[in-house]
Amino acid sequence: MLSAMIKKEFLLVLRDKHALLALFVMPAIFILIMSVAMRDQFSTNTIEFTVYAQDSDKTQISKKIISDIKEDKNFTLVSHKTEAQFLAYIPKNYSKDTNKKIELVVNKSLKSDQIEIFKSMLSKHLLSARFTSMAETLKKYSPETSKILSSINISNENLYKVKYNDLKSMPNSTQQSVPSWIVFGMFFIIIPMSTIYVNERKQNTLARLNSMNVSILWMSISKSIPYLVINQIQVAIMLGVGIFLVPMFNTSALEINGSLGAIATISLALSVSAIGVSTLIAVSASSSEQATTIGGIFNILLGAIGGVMVPKYIMPESMQRISEFSPMSWGLDGFLDIFLKSANASMILEDALKLFVFGIISLIISMIILRIRINKGL
Amino acid sequence: MIQISNISKSFSNTKALNNLSLNIKEGSVFGLLGVNGAGKTTLLSILNGLVDIDSGDIKIFGYDLKKQKKDIKKISSIIPQHLAFYEKLTVKENLDFFADIQNAKKEDYEKALQVNSLEKLLNQKASSLSGGQKRRLNIAIGLLNNPKIIYFDEPTVGLDPKSRNEILDSIKNYKKLGITVIYTSHYMTEIEKICDEVAIIDHGELLIQDTLFNLLSNKISDIITIEIVYQEIVDSLGLSVKNSSFIETKEGELFNTINLLKKNNISIKQIKYASTNLEKYFLDITGSSDA
Repeated sequence: MLSAMIKKEFLLVLRDKHALLALFVMPAIFILIMSVAMRDQFSTNTIEFTVYAQDSDKTQISKKIISDIKEDKNFTLVSHKTEAQFLAYIPKNYSKDTNKKIELVVNKSLKSDQIEIFKSMLSKHLLSARFTSMAETLKKYSPETSKILSSINISNENLYKVKYNDLKSMPNSTQQSVPSWIVFGMFFIIIPMSTIYVNERKQNTLARLNSMNVSILWMSISKSIPYLVINQIQVAIMLGVGIFLVPMFNTSALEINGSLGAIATISLALSVSAIGVSTLIAVSASSSEQATTIGGIFNILLGAIGGVMVPKYIMPESMQRISEFSPMSWGLDGFLDIFLKSANASMILEDALKLFVFGIISLIISMIILRIRINKGL
Repeated sequence: MIQISNISKSFSNTKALNNLSLNIKEGSVFGLLGVNGAGKTTLLSILNGLVDIDSGDIKIFGYDLKKQKKDIKKISSIIPQHLAFYEKLTVKENLDFFADIQNAKKEDYEKALQVNSLEKLLNQKASSLSGGQKRRLNIAIGLLNNPKIIYFDEPTVGLDPKSRNEILDSIKNYKKLGITVIYTSHYMTEIEKICDEVAIIDHGELLIQDTLFNLLSNKISDIITIEIVYQEIVDSLGLSVKNSSFIETKEGELFNTINLLKKNNISIKQIKYASTNLEKYFLDITGSSDA
């Protein structure tokens, strides 16, 4: 009996082109678009600024500043003002008068943090030029001091030694996008599941099955298994998109540092959760239109709260606390732990357990609702 | 034998069935009539074990519905009013699925196909079938478990007369096979055509249960139809008789009616007993035109 029910469910889903689009194509496209679109936002590569510099001082110091900017890989010196993000004007007598300031004209689209970074990087060259000038002057009077001054290298690389803490490492755009849209896509089983469920209920097919001694428990199990399999296929395809397709678009490939067992654990738990919610909405709705509308809105809300649309770490603390109530957030945390922190199955067990319990409770409630509905002939 | 004894069922504050009792003979075709909301579908759902009763007892072929629901489901089948199958599957996939979940025997599968003339449609998608073919598939699914009782819930709704007659003929065949059929329909002519016995329920209560013969011969046979001709009008126009009308009277009033017509120069073309008409009886007893 179970195999016949599972086969039927598979046939129905596979013949629903819209469902297949929503389940496989939509999240794959999202992963691709979002990984590429957010590439620079998540990038830890060298920061680059375009600068137009005008030297009205024409001294050794001002010339050194310009030549240092030219050599700095973080800066691109441009010859037209319109091409630059920053216009730097070195005033006359800048070398002689230490109170003179360099005038910066900044493109309005730049954020304050970018301006601060630019200033910090430019300061390095201003100081270096001053030190060089001082070293030259002191050469005659105190060669030793001049030597020390000349040897000072004030680049950030020499001042700081930066180490990334593995436990708090940030995802790149692919590492953020792949789990986000895997989680989101998995919950999209609500579309085919609710359409099939509501049609079966409306046309009395469920009642007919029940009159053939098919219990509600068996109905629920037989409906859950195909979607469990579909969800795992989704995960495999989306991981494949992250590993093989995304790099073709000049974007970092997905790196999976954790164990495959951990991926299987979190994706199975996530699937139970998605099936539970989908079944609950499907049995509660009175029409497939209602189910797909409610399901769609519910999915988007869970995604928005759970860190799918906006990464949780850039949310304010209050929002981060709210996101803890979204099962999508539990799933996302699990996947990120695996991708970024090399988590094994035991490390993501808490998230997996929350998802599993949430899914089972939703399934039990939906079975009770379905029993009541069949009993009332609804 | 199906024995329904004093059953009641309420949904929230609505009483769907109220102390209803019925006896249905094995092998009969039993018509269940009632206006919309009378309780017919609720009764069918109860007999199928889909809905539990609040009080009363039901015994079906010796099985107690409360205690032996699974056994009862094995020997019965419901043909729902809606097309309860999968439109995206082919006829074969639908039949295979419903046969598999009931462990249907191969000969029962073949019989269901044959009786409903679906052999040539096996590879067609259910959604591409005509209305009549869909109804036949709906019925075939109900025959897969070789049931002893079949419940038909308005199986001919929306069908053309030809398809309707085909289904009615197949139901007559089930009787020959010894299957007990319980049939609800809005079409009184269908009930007259196939049923041996009829029960009329209204507001969840039984109004009457009797054989169709008794209902039609004893209760409404005293109605007489007289066809009359407006002779004066016809004569003045020099035409042959074309216009005629019908009036109804009862047997005891026939003599007076004829005299009245003669006095008024109205010619009588023919007098006949009213055709047996269940619909009239149904409207009289329920006071409604919404069957």
